Amino acid sequence: MVAAARTESKPRGFMPAAFRNATADALCMVAVLLLVALAAFFFGGVAMQRVVTYAAIMLTAVLGLQIFSGNSGIVSFGQAAFVGLGAYATGILTMPAALQRTALRDLPQFLAGHELSFFAALALVLALAVFIGLLTGTPLMRLTGSSASIATLAMLIIVYTLLVAGREITRGSQPFYGVPREVGLWTAAAVASVALIAARLFRETSFGLASRAAANDERGAAAVGVDQRIARLVAWVVGVIAAMAAGAMMAQFLGAFSPRDFYFDLGFTMLAMLIVGGMTSSLGAFAGVIVTIVVIEVVRRFEGGGEMLGLHLPVLFGLTQGVLAIAMILVIWRRPTGLFGERELNLLRRSGRTPEMASAPPRQVGADRLVADHLSRRYAGVVAVDDVSLSFETDSITGIIGPNGAGKTTLLNMLAGDVQPSAGTVSVGGVQRQASAFRFARSGIARTFQNIRVFPSMTVLENVVVAARQVEPDLAHAEAAAMRELFRMGLDKFADQPAARLAYGQRRRLEVARALALKPRFLLLDEPAAGMNAVETAELVSILSAVRAERRIGVVLIEHDMRLVMNLCERIVVIDHGRVIADGTPADVQNNPAVIAAYLGSRTARAKAASPENQPA
Amino acid sequence: MIAQQIINAVSLGGVYALLALGLAIVFSIVGLINFAHGELMTLSGYALLAALVFGLPFPLAVLVAVSCGALAAVAMERIAFRPMRGASVTSLLLTSFAVSSLLKVVFQNGISARPQAVAMPGWMTGAFSFGDFTIGVGPSISIVVSALALIALEVFLRRSVTGTAMRAAAEDFNVVRLMGIPASRIIATAFLLSGLLAGLAAMLWVAQRASVDPLMGFTPVLKAFIAAVVGGLGSLPGAVAGGFLLGIIEVLLQATLPAAIAPYRDAIVLSGVIAVLLLRPQGLIPAVRVQRS
Repeated sequence: MVAAARTESKPRGFMPAAFRNATADALCMVAVLLLVALAAFFFGGVAMQRVVTYAAIMLTAVLGLQIFSGNSGIVSFGQAAFVGLGAYATGILTMPAALQRTALRDLPQFLAGHELSFFAALALVLALAVFIGLLTGTPLMRLTGSSASIATLAMLIIVYTLLVAGREITRGSQPFYGVPREVGLWTAAAVASVALIAARLFRETSFGLASRAAANDERGAAAVGVDQRIARLVAWVVGVIAAMAAGAMMAQFLGAFSPRDFYFDLGFTMLAMLIVGGMTSSLGAFAGVIVTIVVIEVVRRFEGGGEMLGLHLPVLFGLTQGVLAIAMILVIWRRPTGLFGERELNLLRRSGRTPEMASAPPRQVGADRLVADHLSRRYAGVVAVDDVSLSFETDSITGIIGPNGAGKTTLLNMLAGDVQPSAGTVSVGGVQRQASAFRFARSGIARTFQNIRVFPSMTVLENVVVAARQVEPDLAHAEAAAMRELFRMGLDKFADQPAARLAYGQRRRLEVARALALKPRFLLLDEPAAGMNAVETAELVSILSAVRAERRIGVVLIEHDMRLVMNLCERIVVIDHGRVIADGTPADVQNNPAVIAAYLGSRTARAKAASPENQPA
Repeated sequence: MIAQQIINAVSLGGVYALLALGLAIVFSIVGLINFAHGELMTLSGYALLAALVFGLPFPLAVLVAVSCGALAAVAMERIAFRPMRGASVTSLLLTSFAVSSLLKVVFQNGISARPQAVAMPGWMTGAFSFGDFTIGVGPSISIVVSALALIALEVFLRRSVTGTAMRAAAEDFNVVRLMGIPASRIIATAFLLSGLLAGLAAMLWVAQRASVDPLMGFTPVLKAFIAAVVGGLGSLPGAVAGGFLLGIIEVLLQATLPAAIAPYRDAIVLSGVIAVLLLRPQGLIPAVRVQRS
């Protein structure tokens, strides 16, 4: 596997930079793991080798947890259950037939007498893991953060109950014994290496990117076309696969076990390992397992009591659990991102990026039309948008203005598919569309938000790549396209920084770059200049008009900065109390009495109308 | 027989409801699912044991035990959660998970890993008869206490200033703080109430089992988590509904499942819960939360 990965990464220079970097990181961690294994093999005794084997098995399980929880941001308490399922499945498949007849008399026929080798059993268990992962992952897709965590807890209890109750297959709460002990140091190290590579690479796949984006900001992710349910499901299934692989090894490592071995204590140990190291990176999982195993090995010596430095130590129950709990609290308290932070090694990124700035001319979009037909939206007693019919063309810039609370953002949300209209329809290119933010984004309606929704813990480049991946299936091309958009917005030199470090105006521009990476036909901007100073606003105006001229997209923007609106827009729609009160060129709108009444009050409007010169200020 | 089962179901549901309500009060304000809630319950159980061993009369011992639960909850917030104010929900959740494990270890080593018998007064295990029906005193008390606690909480939340502030904080904490109400007081009150409810639940739990052990709070609080999620996380009426629903389903299944399937009861109940969540991801009675664009 190691060799295969290396030969793949070398000759393919066009392998995307993200994967090159990830492969280098993964190989580095694998090298450390193999060095530890070698050291244990040559210099360690049997006990030491068992500790390293156990560590490699736990590493596989914890990496599975990291793949799901680290990418989706949802803590899973249920991972231990899947380790258990893997262990029992492997136990049954690999048990000697003679022993099985005495130990498991009531085993159903189709499960009996397989006597598979470890790897044959592992292959079957992994196939089973895909099925179990899909089955258990489906309900998780619709739940939000804490509810999803508790649902994984429910799964842990369900699996435990099944293992205890299914006596014919598992011997119930009695020990399951007689599993051949074929998994040693090298098998465990090999499987853990594969898991390391998988976990490190998963982050960079479109599913990894998408689930990280959704964990950062759910609405922001939907706005760039991320279908977070699918992304989360894939992360869950891959996590279950790793957990069951770990279980398969655990079965053959222990030889005998009972359901209690795969319940809360194991779940807690796995979580503690991940949290101590850092949940958001595979490096964190790797380091966390190493640190925690060392701590456990040291503490275990004191658990049984005895003499130490002349002191008599009492027997302490669950001392390891206690120490792990304290370690976890300290880490969360002092370093919430874990000992090894939230960054991967990023070996190839440190040496500096040499972006190949092929400034391919941006594609111009064909003519299209975004139509709102009798749109209304009511919220308990309030009519936010009231029977609005509007049509927007590509190659135009339209401003939507109106007093606060007029319903502008609600209208924009409906145009972006983010809010379900109470009545009326939105159609793009003549086709009516059901409200769904991510589908709208994929079909060419990009948007930004009034309160910026970038993905703070992802890099600036990743922020844009998430969007580019939705329209560009190939990662290398998506990266190049994302770099082009960053360059366009003057953000290319920040590409590898976390977005959280950007200044306010830069984040606004990042959000626009991200929206443009979707290659939209329409770009909807919700107060793009809010909070910007005059210089930043002027810069934004020039970028927006250049983008519109280059690509002929339709821009629709909500803005309170009248100078920006009047300079930039060729058409202005005024909304008040959810209704369109004026629609026309800036000059028309400025003289419209209804608009003046809405903004300045009706008396001023009458005075204006009466005054002879009738000139707007 | 049927009457007895119904009483049992409602009394178990009442305990789950009290626990789920305690979890929901804290969740609605701080966004934390407190894993250590079960340890508050265990602690109250031990406090009752200690008070009885010291010879306090039973009613006084109960009072002491319940206040211990409440004070422990406030102390827990001060020591473990307040230093992390502003931390992510995930950090809080994991902290409470670690606190819970730590307290279990402390109980196991400081007291005993084995169950300790609690001398409950004899009348609690008795029963009254109405014609053909025999109804246990314990479950009946449990129902009465749960009902009184729910009513008292409702009155507190509706009538008192702090209660009103707490209801407001559940919808939008930031605005409540802007109204000049100290955040610490609201959070401390939320923990106090949740500890009080955990203490009460502990009394009802011990009353029916007459013993305490380090893991006493573990199983009921697990069920309460599930109840709170089914009801709608952070919604107080939801927590009560979820608690009663879970308790009633458990007892009904216990009574009706054939012996061969009975060991699978928890798996069946929880699979049902997950099925409910598939249909209603926000729970039965979703919590109201502000959303800003």
